[in-house]
Amino acid sequence: MSAILEFRNVAFAHGARPIFDNLCISVEHGETVALVGPNGVGKTTLLRLAAGLLCPSSGEVLVRGQELERWSRRQLSCAVALVPQYLEVPFAFRVEEIVAQGRVPHLGFFGRLTKNDIEAVETAMDAVDLLGMRRRVFSELSGGERQRVKIAIGLAQQARLMLLDEPTQHLDLGRQIELMGLLRKLVQRGITIVAAMHDLALVREHCSSAILLTPQAPAMAGPVKELLRADLLERAFCVARPSLERYLANEASLGAAGDGLPTAPPDADLTNDEATGQRRKNEPQEYRERLWRKDELLRCREYRYYSRHPRSGHNWDHD
Amino acid sequence: MLLLVVIIVSAGMGAVRLSFGEVLRALLHPSAAGDAGVILYTLRLPRVLAAGLVGAGLSATGVLFQGLFRNPLADPFVLGASGGAALGGAIAVFLVPSLTFAGFGAIEVLAFGGSLLAMAIVWSLAKSSGNFAMENMLLAGFAIGTMLNAATAALALRQEETNPGMRILTAWLHGEVTVPSWPQLAFVAIVEVAALLFAMPLARKLNTLALSEEYAAQLGVRVERLQVIVIVTGSILTGLAVSLGGLIGFVGLLVPHFLRLIFGPDHFRLLPSAALSGAVFLILADTIARTAFAPSEIPVGLLTAFLGGPAFLYLLNHRQRSSSL
Repeated sequence: MSAILEFRNVAFAHGARPIFDNLCISVEHGETVALVGPNGVGKTTLLRLAAGLLCPSSGEVLVRGQELERWSRRQLSCAVALVPQYLEVPFAFRVEEIVAQGRVPHLGFFGRLTKNDIEAVETAMDAVDLLGMRRRVFSELSGGERQRVKIAIGLAQQARLMLLDEPTQHLDLGRQIELMGLLRKLVQRGITIVAAMHDLALVREHCSSAILLTPQAPAMAGPVKELLRADLLERAFCVARPSLERYLANEASLGAAGDGLPTAPPDADLTNDEATGQRRKNEPQEYRERLWRKDELLRCREYRYYSRHPRSGHNWDHD
Repeated sequence: MLLLVVIIVSAGMGAVRLSFGEVLRALLHPSAAGDAGVILYTLRLPRVLAAGLVGAGLSATGVLFQGLFRNPLADPFVLGASGGAALGGAIAVFLVPSLTFAGFGAIEVLAFGGSLLAMAIVWSLAKSSGNFAMENMLLAGFAIGTMLNAATAALALRQEETNPGMRILTAWLHGEVTVPSWPQLAFVAIVEVAALLFAMPLARKLNTLALSEEYAAQLGVRVERLQVIVIVTGSILTGLAVSLGGLIGFVGLLVPHFLRLIFGPDHFRLLPSAALSGAVFLILADTIARTAFAPSEIPVGLLTAFLGGPAFLYLLNHRQRSSSL
């Protein structure tokens, strides 16, 4: 009833390659929705459609019950913030100058920042711990620091609907947890979050519902627990069932351990995200993520066993 | 302020040397100036002001185009304006030397028209190839510019060696500021100042565009409209500069970069400061060009290349060390 974002029979194609043919989903106010699916299935395209950057070839996208064509570009930018996957900035722009761009849709004709705007920028930088590096040049930042700058731009935009494209990408473990806490705080303030995510453990812990995109199959939406089942994930990610089950079991045990014992993770783990961030395309990434965990490295041999299993069509041997 | 001092000093320089005081007196009391006044008002001042306008126009366009293409190597001529202007100039010199239009000579009119026409062609080519992509424009600009330069060379080769037009054209192709008439100067000045004022709000949007076209769109900037307006504004500024000064390289590329080192990359601050510094720089360069080897002149475009080349190399070196330009 009070859907903040709704896709009605949306079809979209990149040139000759169809991405969606009849997409129907809706996101309610105040939800934290994870967008889950394999690489290239259209997660980013879905977010772009929702932000009005792409136009569906048929069907309609509604924000707060109103078709996107009926929003002015500026109003829509105040209502919907998209934090994209990539940000490259030429010239030596500083962090604070870039975060301030998030205020652009709110500015008047002369584009001068008011006291209100400056406060929004400060708050946004504070929320992702950027105040200490506000004078740094953006192009010299690390991947994780850039990620935080992008999120700060989205926060400065102060939109009621935030769309995040892999927000935990490049972040170290501590920042991932902090970011998820931040998103939770935003939701408490009445902001709706839709985030494309690959880390199912984070999805399980922090998201209220999920949208699962499967190639050549209709999108599915529902509560996280119902949706992230082994059978559905197996189909969506084309991953061998035994490896998947092993992954899910491992992830669940990690979650349980994390709840009880606030132990510091091993040092090696903190660098893992950089490694997985550079993963090759089309490789089931759960496998990769798991592989790089210290305890998992020891189990590699078992994976190799599966690779030779006649019923599994996947070849893990390239590692 | 610096601009005013530079104007007065360089107006004094020349075959007849005038002191700072003399120039100032002649400016304040035009009727009582005598010979100095005649020299100033018919020769020196128009030339100095023309150089200032050319430098300001080229530098400002450099800022606009570098911001638009998100590319530090963009300059006013990336869209093929130089090729169009060169061909226009060649046609003017060899085929219709006696053409005049509203007080402007043949070279001025045809160079202005040629540069605008070349940019219009480049733009329509890039637009008709489906997606309106900025890389396409750069490539199309390069291709069209090269073709037009070839056409200019072909036209020049067909002329007799003794044709006096050859010398005029060669000098003009390397950049030579003319001595314009006052109405001409006033016309250029008014259009240029209007274009610069008009470009100021665009400069802020270029800051948003620096995040990428899609990001800017997401932040409420109407990107295609911005691109069209910036290209049209830049084209007019370039066309005016070319009509007064021929093809002067390096100014539009270098001045913005030097100012970025001082003021940072904010286009809103960069645009006016680039216009002023570009004016100062080109007035100085033009003064050297016309006085260093007096009575003969060297084309100011050669001088800016001589000064600009080493400066640019220094800049590259500097950039490697701080990795931020």
